[in-house]
Amino acid sequence: MNRIDLASPVGVAIALLPEILLTGWALIVLLVVSWRHRTAQDSRLAGWLSLVGLLFSGAALAALWVGGASPDGLPQMVALDPFRYGAAAIALLAAAGTVLISLGYLEREGLIAPEYYPLVLLATAGMMFLAGAEDLIVLFLGLEVMSVAVYVLAGFDRTDPFSSEAALKYFLIGAFASGFLLYGIALVYGAAGTTNLSIIGAQLSGRPIPMMAALGLGLLLIGMGFKISAVPFHMWAPDVYDGSPTPVSGLMATGVKAAAFAALVRVLMEAFPSAVGLWQPVVAALAIASMTVGNLTALAQRSLKRMLAYSSIAHAGYMLVAVWAGTHAGAGAVLLYLLAYGLTTLAAFGLLTALGRGGERDVTYDDIAGLAGARPAIALGLAVCMLSLLGFPGTLGFIGKWYILSAVVAEGQMILPVLLVLTSVLSAGYYLPVIMSMYMRPSPGADRHAAVGLSPTAAGAIAASVVAVVLLGLWPSGLLEVAGASARTLTQTALPLAGP
Amino acid sequence: MTAFLDSIGYGQWILHALVVLPLLGVVPVLLGPEASAKRTALLVTSLELILSLGLWWALDPGRGTLQLVSNTPWIPGWGISYRVGIDGISLVMVLLTTLLMPISVLGSWRYITRQERGFYALMLALLTGLVGVFIALDLFVFYIFFEIMLIPMYFIIGIWGGPNRLYAAIKFFIYTMAGSLLMLVAIVVLVWRVQAVTGYLSFSYDHLLTNAGAVGPLAPWLFAAFAVAFAIKVPIFPFHTWLPDAHVEAPTAGSVLLAAVMLKIGTYGFLRFAVPFFPQVALSPTVSRIVVVLAVIGIVYGALVAMVQPDIKKLVAYSSVSHLGFVMLGIWGGTVQSVQGSLMIMISHGISTGALFLLIGMIYERRHTREIADYGGIARVVPVFSLIFTVVVLSSIGLPGLNGFVGEFLVLLGSFSAYPLATVIATTGVIFAAAYLLWALQRMIYNRLDKPENERLSDLNGRELALMTPLLIGIVWLGLYPEPVLRRMEPATRRYLQLTQPGAAAPVAAAGPTIEVRP
Repeated sequence: MNRIDLASPVGVAIALLPEILLTGWALIVLLVVSWRHRTAQDSRLAGWLSLVGLLFSGAALAALWVGGASPDGLPQMVALDPFRYGAAAIALLAAAGTVLISLGYLEREGLIAPEYYPLVLLATAGMMFLAGAEDLIVLFLGLEVMSVAVYVLAGFDRTDPFSSEAALKYFLIGAFASGFLLYGIALVYGAAGTTNLSIIGAQLSGRPIPMMAALGLGLLLIGMGFKISAVPFHMWAPDVYDGSPTPVSGLMATGVKAAAFAALVRVLMEAFPSAVGLWQPVVAALAIASMTVGNLTALAQRSLKRMLAYSSIAHAGYMLVAVWAGTHAGAGAVLLYLLAYGLTTLAAFGLLTALGRGGERDVTYDDIAGLAGARPAIALGLAVCMLSLLGFPGTLGFIGKWYILSAVVAEGQMILPVLLVLTSVLSAGYYLPVIMSMYMRPSPGADRHAAVGLSPTAAGAIAASVVAVVLLGLWPSGLLEVAGASARTLTQTALPLAGP
Repeated sequence: MTAFLDSIGYGQWILHALVVLPLLGVVPVLLGPEASAKRTALLVTSLELILSLGLWWALDPGRGTLQLVSNTPWIPGWGISYRVGIDGISLVMVLLTTLLMPISVLGSWRYITRQERGFYALMLALLTGLVGVFIALDLFVFYIFFEIMLIPMYFIIGIWGGPNRLYAAIKFFIYTMAGSLLMLVAIVVLVWRVQAVTGYLSFSYDHLLTNAGAVGPLAPWLFAAFAVAFAIKVPIFPFHTWLPDAHVEAPTAGSVLLAAVMLKIGTYGFLRFAVPFFPQVALSPTVSRIVVVLAVIGIVYGALVAMVQPDIKKLVAYSSVSHLGFVMLGIWGGTVQSVQGSLMIMISHGISTGALFLLIGMIYERRHTREIADYGGIARVVPVFSLIFTVVVLSSIGLPGLNGFVGEFLVLLGSFSAYPLATVIATTGVIFAAAYLLWALQRMIYNRLDKPENERLSDLNGRELALMTPLLIGIVWLGLYPEPVLRRMEPATRRYLQLTQPGAAAPVAAAGPTIEVRP
């Protein structure tokens, strides 16, 4: 165990090394593209450079993780625990996948503007701050860094009105959500006299929750609810996912969601363990609403991209069920599910880029009829993704759901698990038709799928994800241990500070 | 024979081999040329059958315990192991599966004309799932096998099925999945409760069986979850509506395996899991009454609906609802005879209905219609087909001397003491069965040869005769001399009864633990 003194500048620099490296590298890439931003080759260069940055950051993260760094003394602004590393690793993976998918995509869509990649890096840095925030202020900063970058990415296809609509919608709703969050932070600060999560937890324990803190908690939940697109704060999600360039939709559904969930879990478990009676019913209600509404509306979609958007709301509902547990097992389940969902969804969005043109908004179930005959590999990949999203045994999605069920059942709760599986059955009604269309319906024309294809980098990233989804689904043992161990460290930093 | 099997260590590897071999077979089927896919599949499934036959001797028929048990840790953190083993009940189900699989492959020889590689690869994957489900002794593993075999069957129906195949495939999938997901929650709850009491986290069957009492007041809910999953699979009225669609739309091999093996997973689930875990709930007067009433409704309703079907395949599909009603009645009959009878019906329904679907497939390949009214008097044109069809129909009716009779007789005999009224009503099911099957037989095979299209039908060829022969042998053998099969199932049956109603089944009662691990 390497203890790091978070009060000293050197300590902070070490603790934040992954984020610092990533941000610095993003600025370097930005510098490079200010000279080279005209040709497709420039765009590719920026993409590969960004991958290198992600690699550096990942190496720093791994060093911290393997080195077992832990804070010396009082908890400070940033967490030093495997839960942060796990969530940050998911964000890095999502970013790397997004970059690999984007390499060919941007060229194909004629979006030659290499600023795209530094923005992805900055968004990722924001996600990592968000996932590691041990202080509400850092949390807010991380959220904003991430969001501002993603607003721009959402509207990256400037010629497409839908992309601009997505950006505007995301920005307005995001600003609105930030308002809630900030006001919540202010109220919590008023009640606890601090913005540090562990100290808030210590201040609020052992006495009835003050009204001001309860209000603050409620506003925080609303603000976070927007970011994880839980019903009833989900209205923006379908249009934004739909209008954004598809790799960006993938990043939003995986990285952004992962970071926001990690922050939510940390806030609830570190700052408000004593208010568990207050937030559990709210989280349960959000979970039930998200699972039901998300799955029911996804059933009604014709476009695959919109279907994935609505189903991401349903998956947020499943994860909220795990958040509800408020235990280490629950946090571990969130982490594992984020990885399962992230890998699968990124691959699904990536495969979607192969199917269409101009944002893939209009790829419907009918358009993929007979795909299995023309493009067996793409069809197989998409089929595995659908089964994993459905939570079918043999895939990582199943292990994720199983973990959530175990975590919640261990708390003696029966209604949430039953609702979770029943709404999962609903989801079969829209995931299976994808498989059905590809494998069981005849192709509308002989060369209908002639244009379907992936760039080699995208194909590699997607293939790796799909293989990982299956292999980890069959041999989840190691992953389960990592997720469980990461979650167990979550509240170890919560020192019993001065009581009331 | 036993000595020979011991000398090659048969018991050590056979259960693993039966699961792995078909999966290995998938590779050459997919990579080989399209034309040789069916030959490879036939080779693999035949090899599987030959390998599995040794189980008949490897299992000690004198004991009702689970034998050949092996345990490989899989996800130790969650107490999950790859744990397999068999007893007399699993034995006959595994043998039924491995017997019907090469026959189904042969039955698809000419029926499947496109995407053959995919079809036979899925058949092999299905074989793994089916064998796995009957030998799994860890609830996690059982659940995985239970679910995973949906995929191959979903594709088999959806790609190679009839005109309405998409609807049938998704209905089949969603029905089964809805039930099994509830069972998943029940499994998690059961394991968690047992862990709370014993302090030991494990999904192993015997551990949960011994300590299932720990669930306390949750037992009715958990039983309900298990029961719904299995009831959909059986299917018990009113959960049966997926069955006619799936059976009719599926290609011949799909129908055969659905009817002959997959339905039995439901009844097997009741015998292996649902009832032994929660006997106080399952055999309580209220639940018993509900199950028996639904079983009897299934028997009579299935028979009556079968009677009015114009489509012979649909007629056979509905007759399954009726036959499986007998199985449920026998399980709840609660005597050695009735449970043995249920098991006998499970086997003989597998053989007879499998044979019927194969025969229907054969005649469909020639005439491309399944409407009963399109046939008539074909006995003169295809005498061999007609003879075999008649024998199979008679066995399905339950003619004494053929296999169908033994099981139904035992069920009715064994259930009469517990449920006299229900048994009497169920007996009408036998009469109805005679009515609908003989009537269909008369309209198709006998009567006058009045359709010119039927005059040019060709009779069965060598392949078709070869694949029917083992089934016919089974039909006659089980009808005349079922004793060896009954003897192998009896200890397991007594064990089951002893678990569910202590004191009822005396003889084997004193014999140690449920599972024996081989040294």
